[in-house]
Amino acid sequence: MTDKDYRLPATMRVFERGWLSSNNVLFIGRDDTALVDSGYATHAAQTLALVRHELGARRLDRVINTHLHSDHCGGNAILQREYGTRALVPVSDGPQVEAWDEERLSFRACGQQCERFALGGTVSPGDELVLGDLRWQALAAPGHEPHSLVFFCEQEGIVISADALWENGFGVIFPELDGEAGFDAARETLRMIDSLGARLAIPGHGAPFTGVADACQRALARIDYLAADPLRNAQNGIKVLLKFLLLERQRIALAEVDRLFATVPLLVATGERFFGKDPKAMAEWAVFTLRRSGSAKVEDGVLVNREF
Amino acid sequence: MKPPLPPVPSPCINVCEMEAATGLCRGCMRTLDEIVAWGTAPEEYKRAVWELIREREQQIDFK
Repeated sequence: MTDKDYRLPATMRVFERGWLSSNNVLFIGRDDTALVDSGYATHAAQTLALVRHELGARRLDRVINTHLHSDHCGGNAILQREYGTRALVPVSDGPQVEAWDEERLSFRACGQQCERFALGGTVSPGDELVLGDLRWQALAAPGHEPHSLVFFCEQEGIVISADALWENGFGVIFPELDGEAGFDAARETLRMIDSLGARLAIPGHGAPFTGVADACQRALARIDYLAADPLRNAQNGIKVLLKFLLLERQRIALAEVDRLFATVPLLVATGERFFGKDPKAMAEWAVFTLRRSGSAKVEDGVLVNREF
Repeated sequence: MKPPLPPVPSPCINVCEMEAATGLCRGCMRTLDEIVAWGTAPEEYKRAVWELIREREQQIDFK
């Protein structure tokens, strides 16, 4: 973004990460420190390095996850080992984290990894948290993920919008891939965020941005576009899932891409439900699509990541 | 009137690992300070960091 007429409160740091890891928001309060979202497992060492760099001799007391996707909570475990950090997750996810129920957590279904961490508590919609000596309200933000939370600081006019709202768009509406409703919830979430009147949004990916109302309108228009033909969301979902795995591994043999589309549960289910294609045909479509958009290339039978 | 410059892109290439020997990220060749500052830094700062990255790239020994 180019509009720099904002300043973060002195107790806040935003680590803008990439796409494999979500952004992390560090709060350094008088009595307490906290991190909102912790990135992906393979980047955990850098997440810890960033936190340690800013905290110095202080410890990280809490990590709070906006939602339990692997790119948002993959650093929880290393932070717990280093600092004994308490991990707080959205209340609806508490039981599956406590039991580490991989059937109900999203990681296995997406072919992604997340090191197990211990549940330290939960956050419910409506809860008030003090982060960086500021009061933040947790708000339900279903759509991208049913149990997602966003955090709003009325005093500062800042919303941590996670994957519910980006400067241009939002995260894949994952429930729809599984045949569950998501578009209406996402629409309501965007209207709710719009109604906050925030001056600054810190998204899950990409730079913090002002012009939040305009971003909400763009996102609402995109929801309408996706809802008009749910195949669009499914196509986007397939692309995002394969690109994510490619970002993690950088290179994937085409035979392995075929295997992924035959074995990763969400890829299989989405292929069957929306495309009516078998895994082999799905893999071909996905590889073609990533190549066409310039986000991957094929070299000697290997799918290779390309940066834009 | 000059057209506005496009926003400076992030150097992050999702290979996020600090190298102890250089103190730089192996992917984007930024220091921890530069990574921390990036998200809320002005555009001039980002352009200056890109220049540093280009210089650091010249110094890498591709063996």
